[in-house]
Amino acid sequence: MTTTAERHADGDPPSPAELQAQAAGDLRDALGWLALGVAVLVGSIRMDRLEAQHINPYTVPGLLPGLLGLVMILLGVLLGLRSWNRGARLVGGPHFAIDWRSMRRLAVVISLILIYTVALLGRGLPFWLVSALYVIASIVLLQAPQRALAGRSLGWRDFAFAAAVGLGSGVVIQYVFQNLFLVRLP
Amino acid sequence: MFSGLADFAHAWVGFMNPTSIALGLGGALLGIVVGILPGLSATLVIALLTTITIKLPANDAILVLICSYVGALYGGSRTAILLNIPGTAANAASCADGYALAQRGEAGRAIGIATSGAFTGTLFGVLCLAAFTPSLAEVALAFGAYEFFWLALFGVAMSGSIVGDDPVKGWLMGALGLFVAQIGQEGLYAYDRFTFGWDQIAGGIGLIPALVGAFGLAEILTNLADPLEKKLVEVKDSVLPRFREVFQYWRTVLRSGVIGVLTGLLPGVGEDSGAWMSYAAAKATSKEKHLFGKGSIDGLMAAETGDMSSIPGHIIPCLALGIPGSAPSAVLMAAMIIHGIQPGPMMMIQHPHFVYEVVAMTSLATITILIFGLFLVRPLLVVLRIRRTVLMPVILLLCTVGAFATASRLFDVYAMLVIGIGAFFLRRRGYQMAPFVLGLVLGPLLDKSLRRGLVLSDGSITPFFTRPISLAFAVVTIFAILLYVPAFKAAVRRVTGGAGAAARSLVRRRT
Repeated sequence: MTTTAERHADGDPPSPAELQAQAAGDLRDALGWLALGVAVLVGSIRMDRLEAQHINPYTVPGLLPGLLGLVMILLGVLLGLRSWNRGARLVGGPHFAIDWRSMRRLAVVISLILIYTVALLGRGLPFWLVSALYVIASIVLLQAPQRALAGRSLGWRDFAFAAAVGLGSGVVIQYVFQNLFLVRLP
Repeated sequence: MFSGLADFAHAWVGFMNPTSIALGLGGALLGIVVGILPGLSATLVIALLTTITIKLPANDAILVLICSYVGALYGGSRTAILLNIPGTAANAASCADGYALAQRGEAGRAIGIATSGAFTGTLFGVLCLAAFTPSLAEVALAFGAYEFFWLALFGVAMSGSIVGDDPVKGWLMGALGLFVAQIGQEGLYAYDRFTFGWDQIAGGIGLIPALVGAFGLAEILTNLADPLEKKLVEVKDSVLPRFREVFQYWRTVLRSGVIGVLTGLLPGVGEDSGAWMSYAAAKATSKEKHLFGKGSIDGLMAAETGDMSSIPGHIIPCLALGIPGSAPSAVLMAAMIIHGIQPGPMMMIQHPHFVYEVVAMTSLATITILIFGLFLVRPLLVVLRIRRTVLMPVILLLCTVGAFATASRLFDVYAMLVIGIGAFFLRRRGYQMAPFVLGLVLGPLLDKSLRRGLVLSDGSITPFFTRPISLAFAVVTIFAILLYVPAFKAAVRRVTGGAGAAARSLVRRRT
């Protein structure tokens, strides 16, 4: 799935409908920036001013964060107004078909990364083993749909290749970082 | 001056041992490989190598990082020429002419021109690095909190304005980076800001995990979510560097070298600006304008010289002011701090030899790219044939180790995850990461400078605008921001157009 910006970069100018969809996206972003800016500003105002420590009032910890909150609000409003002027509305507007295949692929990629880093890493299993499992699973699960599109399924050679890459990278990275460069691993 | 030359010679001799040479070559090789792989940036390779080299002596570690920095930008031109995809953002300007030459069966010639342009450009930048860093550091000794406040703000504002095509989104990312830098214990009273009682976050968001997330994980997700495999153009002719063309296009080489160094000096303006501005200047002055975009040697030479000469250009403000010129130099600066060298105006007093050691390192890096350009162009292209679905999971392992290793805590891996996934979706929406990174690096400086300045002036903001250097920075920063306000831009055009017309009529009257 290529984004509008990428198509534009390839020399393919965006259509009016794409521009309007982009503007609608910017309008939603603007609301997000506004919310973040307000949250930062409120958090900064409510931040301890360390009066008990008798600090100089111009050095309160919330000073710069508060100003940054204001900047986010200002730029958020600017982004929102600009997209509104370009015809963006929160409801209605053009709709593009969602590329479900790409979305599924992205979900698989993110899930594998989260399982590896959050659920497995640093939970008692050796680094090389956890890493090998992640690499093998990634190669198999990501190559299977590509092979299916080409009308083929994964054979034992593919599994053996994935296992070799996974085990090889896990063991080599552990050895190089831990033994040669004396870096601690999770 | 002679003491500088002696320091430089001493530094060179210091690196002439097998270990340093092997480390320099290894760093450049890794940089070239990462540069060749589309999407993986110089920032990522420096961040990853920072963790690997953490136990090495400071000089060897920084040598590896500088060699990888130069190598990555050099390697990126291969992909631009053979695949029409820039290996790093800085090589985008080389795509049009490089790929056109490759399609004509002159891929080897294009690579040779890129090698000679890269070599000459970096060498020119190295000369400027040696000549200007000590003087700039001397000037910067007069800087106080007010000047550093504006300098930090200028860096983030410029980065937001120039990187990408939407300044509003760029500034928003800059503000986000500055805000993320405020999370954790602040520098004056060790007060926990936005930690919500969570001890892990009190140390703040580490720069290396954040960079690995923004430039590594985000790119892995992009590659795996959309695994486009493009066909590589075959290299049939000689890839030897073409120094004859350097002499033939010496004006372009010199002009691009100057533009590259000048863009490098501006905080927050990345290497790609050096390449694009050099390319535009070459096109404007070239006798063969019609060939630009269709395989112009002039254009390719300008782009490659411009981006490579900006590397030493970026290192100059990093060393002299402690303000990095680009995202990769921000990591380089972080690595220097990790190794006990604090860049900034005081560096020439505390570590007077270090500038010349960096000059020696950068000149060594220049030689390494020439060596690899001569001998390893074809074998290195093998990495482009590895499937993304195989390569990217392995890169993720490196990113995980890279994020973990600086502080040995899993929290940094989670920070990388959050920033990487966030960066992936933000990039899809047209938000650039460079202003975010500059904000993250300059956030603590901005905070301290603002509060110290206010204490010194007893709450008055007048000195921020009345001290001469401060005023100059303030005017430039505010002007750069206002240029994106349509009414102000139109007024500037009217004034400059009017002044230009008056000058032209004056010249005509005199002649």
